[in-house]
Amino acid sequence: MGEIVFVVRRRVGERILIADDIEIEIVEISKTRVKLGVRAPREVPVVRAETVPVAVENRAASAWASSQAASAPAQLMKLLHNLQDNSTQTVACVSD
Amino acid sequence: MEAPGILHGTCLGDLEWEPSSELWFAHGIPGFENLRRMVPVEIPAQRPLVYLQSAETPGLCFLALPVTTIHPDFEVRLSADDFQALELDPSTDPVPGPDILCLALLGPSESGIRTNLAAPVIISLHTMRGLQLIPLAGPLYWHLGEGRTWERSCL
Repeated sequence: MGEIVFVVRRRVGERILIADDIEIEIVEISKTRVKLGVRAPREVPVVRAETVPVAVENRAASAWASSQAASAPAQLMKLLHNLQDNSTQTVACVSD
Repeated sequence: MEAPGILHGTCLGDLEWEPSSELWFAHGIPGFENLRRMVPVEIPAQRPLVYLQSAETPGLCFLALPVTTIHPDFEVRLSADDFQALELDPSTDPVPGPDILCLALLGPSESGIRTNLAAPVIISLHTMRGLQLIPLAGPLYWHLGEGRTWERSCL
């Protein structure tokens, strides 16, 4: 199914409607930024796009911390102990 | 002053904690937008490791390290919105240590432990407010593997 891109010029105070229940208002325009207000039903997630990869990382980090609470800190402390013996910080880029 | 409470967490078990040590994340953190109340826990034998335990959800916790443990030259840049969220005076220059705590959340990687230094958790030690910085320029991964040192990671 194809997507459409809706491009429109708006001024401060003007709004855009998406379906029946999502409303975007132009709150403020400065030289380099636009402040938007998004009114949507509580069950509709509204996030900045750049938070999505961080959300994925955070979910993985929480699941890892919770599921390995007994063993991971011990492993980590062992690695940290080793780090204290080796003060050199490597800044080479390695594959993960 | 409120009396100490008991926090039930799956990471650390039952934990006595002071309500004054509770952190408030007004907007949660990405992936956990409803996460508001967190308690930082340090275990002396495990320093500098920090546990961030949800005060509301027993099964939700994070492992973290001060970012300077990983990258001693790390510098944090806060925006005007960050100052507002942390309830800090924008005319000040908060110093990591006495004013703010910068924590790197630890997560798994294929061969060890990984963290994204572009998205540290920032805690104001004056207001006990917290947030997670969101990178616009993409992640900055550091990896701790068998090489025993933190290394900048491409992925």
